[in-house]
Amino acid sequence: MADKYNMKNPAVKRILQEVKEMQSNPSDDFMSLPLEENIFEWQFAIRGPGETEFEGGIYHGRIQLPAEYPFKPPSFMLLTPNGRFETQTKICLSISNHHPEHWQPSWSVRTALVALIAFMPTSPNGALGSLDYKKEDRRALAIKSREASPKFGTPERQKLIDEIHDYMLSKANPVPQPSPSQASEEPKKEEAQTLVTLPNPEALLAGEGIPDEAGDKIVEEQEVPVIANPNPAGVEASNEIQPEVVPTNQLPPKSETRVQNLKPETRVQKPDDRLFTLAAIGLAIAIMVLLLKKFIKSTEHGAVFMNES
Amino acid sequence: MRNKEPVLDDGEVVYEDGPGCGWNDFEDEDVMQQTSSIHDDEAKKLPYVGDKEPLSSLAAEYQSGSPILLEKIKVLAEQYAAIRRTRGDGNCFFRGFMFSYLEHLLEAQDKAEIDRIKANIERSRKALQTLGYAELTFEDFFTLFLEQLEDVIQGKETSISHEELVLRSRDQSVSDYVVMFFRFVTSAAIQNRSEFFEPFIMGLTNTTVEQFCKSAVEPMGEESDHVHITALSDALGVPIRVVYLDRSSCDTGGVSVNHHDFIPATGDLPSSSDSSEKKNPFITLLYRPGHYDILYPK
Repeated sequence: MADKYNMKNPAVKRILQEVKEMQSNPSDDFMSLPLEENIFEWQFAIRGPGETEFEGGIYHGRIQLPAEYPFKPPSFMLLTPNGRFETQTKICLSISNHHPEHWQPSWSVRTALVALIAFMPTSPNGALGSLDYKKEDRRALAIKSREASPKFGTPERQKLIDEIHDYMLSKANPVPQPSPSQASEEPKKEEAQTLVTLPNPEALLAGEGIPDEAGDKIVEEQEVPVIANPNPAGVEASNEIQPEVVPTNQLPPKSETRVQNLKPETRVQKPDDRLFTLAAIGLAIAIMVLLLKKFIKSTEHGAVFMNES
Repeated sequence: MRNKEPVLDDGEVVYEDGPGCGWNDFEDEDVMQQTSSIHDDEAKKLPYVGDKEPLSSLAAEYQSGSPILLEKIKVLAEQYAAIRRTRGDGNCFFRGFMFSYLEHLLEAQDKAEIDRIKANIERSRKALQTLGYAELTFEDFFTLFLEQLEDVIQGKETSISHEELVLRSRDQSVSDYVVMFFRFVTSAAIQNRSEFFEPFIMGLTNTTVEQFCKSAVEPMGEESDHVHITALSDALGVPIRVVYLDRSSCDTGGVSVNHHDFIPATGDLPSSSDSSEKKNPFITLLYRPGHYDILYPK
């Protein structure tokens, strides 16, 4: 890469150093690399910050470094819909070039990405290029963001985006955190499968809090752990606990105690509710069939019928 | 050329933030681009570091201005022969210091001074590391300045002439890097002696030392005042004379021009005996409110 550039250009030298540093100290929270054809053009992905509605999301974007880098700030643009920043619009951060007076050469792409992650859960306050989506919507976008990387630019750029996506998928904790009221979204199969593999039962909560909206897929995907649960709850449990669940959302979602807690446990079993309903219905039908058989047997009319069976 | 504009009727010299002095109030990209083009226009008019001019050119600026200033310039002319202007882009102190310092080294071929300052530079480097700065964010600036130190010494393949020094100080990719080097050194020096600088900084901006460094020292285009000068002079062990050209007048009636010598604090410098010998700073800057130019003694 270096051969193509004038190493006397201090910006190039600096950028190459940043690339090297980025590669030698990879982070689980972000990944960023320049295009091979132009080191002033970078692709990045950040992981949604933990314990926020962005958790588990993988947000792609592009960075443009000015010729005067690092004297002038890089500009950032997100490509993945996220509910906090408009896509394909330069992000208005104090670290980016909408506020050049705040930028300083002692910062780097790394610093800027860390700041960008920290900015995600902050209130937009009407800043340029900001969005103020509801938490549910952001969570839905977070879940969706994992499905596939955004399609953008040249094949070469797309290849880089896809590589970064795979890297982030391998690093980003695949748990959009469980807050039932926020997780009104229908998780995709891929999502649910990853969840199932997690040892933490908490993971099961993800994305299926409200039974009405949860698709059948969830039920299918989550059957395995559910059945393993030795202590199934009543069929109608989900309706009863709904009001109690709401305050639980306010708690930091990551706590072992919640797993011990009865309430979440009942929630974990929501998928069984349907199973057991089905089982109960099936059983009822079977009993009815048996009763009917018996009834038919005991009557004259059914005699001809039953002889055949 | 901003140096000529700001003479108001009352003779007040206004050098407050012009377009070149920062982006402070611009948030909108369009405005920024416009500002940027103003900035560029400015650049065409005056290079980062101008040519050496006789002191009479300074008097010419104030011909219709304050008599006090004209009197003072006359006084200045007794001691100083020439002025070299720097661009009023908020970096003028550092730029003036850079040129003046390197020019001195080139003319005096002062190798001992280079060895001395290199030791100080290494201390600054360590200070930045200790303060938690990522090496990659400052090493280029250090490297580039160290190269300039080498290049002004004659007799090498890389040696540069005085003309080349002027060209380099006008070349953004050298000049801004050296300015930024000084900003790093200054920032580290302030943070390393934060208890000393804190009262000054509190008085100036009512911010913490760290915040001050982040907002008023490290960003390009942020103007310098006595805190910056003190810190840089201390850190590099280079004394600096600042001559003040303003409208203040003495009660005694006689017009005099004040100056202040920033003599490096000797306390934490190993070569304290050396610095006490340097009574006369070889760097002289002319200060007019908001701006520094280089002065040449007779």
